[in-house]
Amino acid sequence: MSHRLIHVALLTIALHAAGARAQEAKTPLFSFNGFGTLGVVHSSEDKADFTSSIFKPNGAGYSHAWSADVDSLIGGQVTANFTPKLSAVLQVIAEQNYDNSYRPHVEWANFKYEVTPDFSVRAGRIVLPTFLYADTRKVGYAYPWVRPPPEVYGLVPINTSNGVDATYRTRVGDVVHTLQANYGGDERSFPGGGTLKAERSWGVGYMAEYHAVTALVTYHASNATLDTLKPIFDGFRQFGAQGVALADKYGVDNKRFEAIAIGASYDPGKWFLIGEWTRATTHSVLGQETGWYVSGGYRLGKFTPYLTYGQVTVDNLSDPGLNLSTLPPFLAGPAAGLNAALNSILSAKPARNTLSIGGRWELTRNAALKLQYDHTRIGAGSSGGLSNLQPGFQPSGKVNVLSATMDFVF
Amino acid sequence: MSLVNRIVFAFLGLALSLSSGATEAEVVAVVSSRCPESALSRNQVADIFLGRSSRFPDGKLAVPIDQAESSAARDEFYAAFTGKSPAQVKAHWSKIIFTGRGQPPREVSNGIEVKKLVAGNPAAIGYIDRKLVDGSVKVLRTQ
Repeated sequence: MSHRLIHVALLTIALHAAGARAQEAKTPLFSFNGFGTLGVVHSSEDKADFTSSIFKPNGAGYSHAWSADVDSLIGGQVTANFTPKLSAVLQVIAEQNYDNSYRPHVEWANFKYEVTPDFSVRAGRIVLPTFLYADTRKVGYAYPWVRPPPEVYGLVPINTSNGVDATYRTRVGDVVHTLQANYGGDERSFPGGGTLKAERSWGVGYMAEYHAVTALVTYHASNATLDTLKPIFDGFRQFGAQGVALADKYGVDNKRFEAIAIGASYDPGKWFLIGEWTRATTHSVLGQETGWYVSGGYRLGKFTPYLTYGQVTVDNLSDPGLNLSTLPPFLAGPAAGLNAALNSILSAKPARNTLSIGGRWELTRNAALKLQYDHTRIGAGSSGGLSNLQPGFQPSGKVNVLSATMDFVF
Repeated sequence: MSLVNRIVFAFLGLALSLSSGATEAEVVAVVSSRCPESALSRNQVADIFLGRSSRFPDGKLAVPIDQAESSAARDEFYAAFTGKSPAQVKAHWSKIIFTGRGQPPREVSNGIEVKKLVAGNPAAIGYIDRKLVDGSVKVLRTQ
């Protein structure tokens, strides 16, 4: 009986789909699209690694003089249009994972239902549209730079969500308004073990497009848990009231994470100007980070030179920690160890500014070559977002990074 | 007529035919002659073709039809109506496709095919060389 019902249901869907097909302009049931980046990166700092994400195990500088792992990736996507209202998308990307493998992972996987052509809801896995290029940051062909400026894009580490979202778009006069809201959560694994979780994640966004102007405002919140750090803060809790206070202040155990972002771009065709600002706050060791960048470029036929300046300021990069003078000698050693661990995490906040100069060259109708030179000055007491710090690494230094990529879509 | 005059006229004729050759491929936005719309702003046309809007100003569904990627008409249309080069249009669609927000307009091989489709569907909007315009389609007045 139940089998018969399923057959009837399938037949109904098939007939309905066929009927809808015949009426609409022929939309194919399945579309396949792909994108990729081949890139190499060199960093002048050989006692630490430059990476494109905190979830990457190694990069350019210490691990490799020239690293292909920083930007290289390939992605494929299948879009299924079941009916004019119901569609699904599956996007898979192969890139360097936290465990140094290139095992493909699912970036997008959702069903979309268009209630009206202007209002749609999705259920499944999405990438959050926190910034102007946040949900296409893996698609190098879509933006002018080698990678979106990490001074903004690096401040929201988890930008995917398994859950639901809704989008409403309306055109009033010559302005297209888009409202978006999402709810879900996700988690990511770190190279050294452990995970960063974003639970009960929700966000809202508003975008306005008017002729060559695009403006975006977003808010995003979640409850963050960084289980890697649990042993350290459990350690602090062994040291009485002052230890408990430090653990409560800095622990990342179900702590509220909030990010607000504002961005705008002006692109009349011949040139462009893009600027974004964001502030990410977690009442924990991750603290408060404020980042912004401004980028401009001029299109000379197939060649687009550009210049970008970005900056991140952070709240605190160190803390006195446990007061060792009040502790008996046999506890002072472990306490000093905990203080050192706390301070190494605090100093990992990426206080820095970067001046980038680069160019994009349209190679064919679906491929672009890019060359970019970044000069980064790291703030006093910060490791500037670099990873795999080696003995002899000096914080507060200067780093030059040279990147060359070829981005393509197909 | 002297030889000099003949040469001068020949050059003038050549120059005229060259200059008219440069301007003759005027691309215009067209809808079905049965479509109630007759004037749209350039920006409204651009929004329909860039996936920012799925409707005509009167609220009716608009279905854009593209010409083949290598066609001169397509490059000229996007340059004139959106200010975007072929690469910029492709980058724009990459942002939409790879966020699951949509697929680019349906593509047909040339202006004659566009005209055929547009003529038969009051929701369709396309662009063709002005020389191809006949009674089956209506040129949109665009400011």
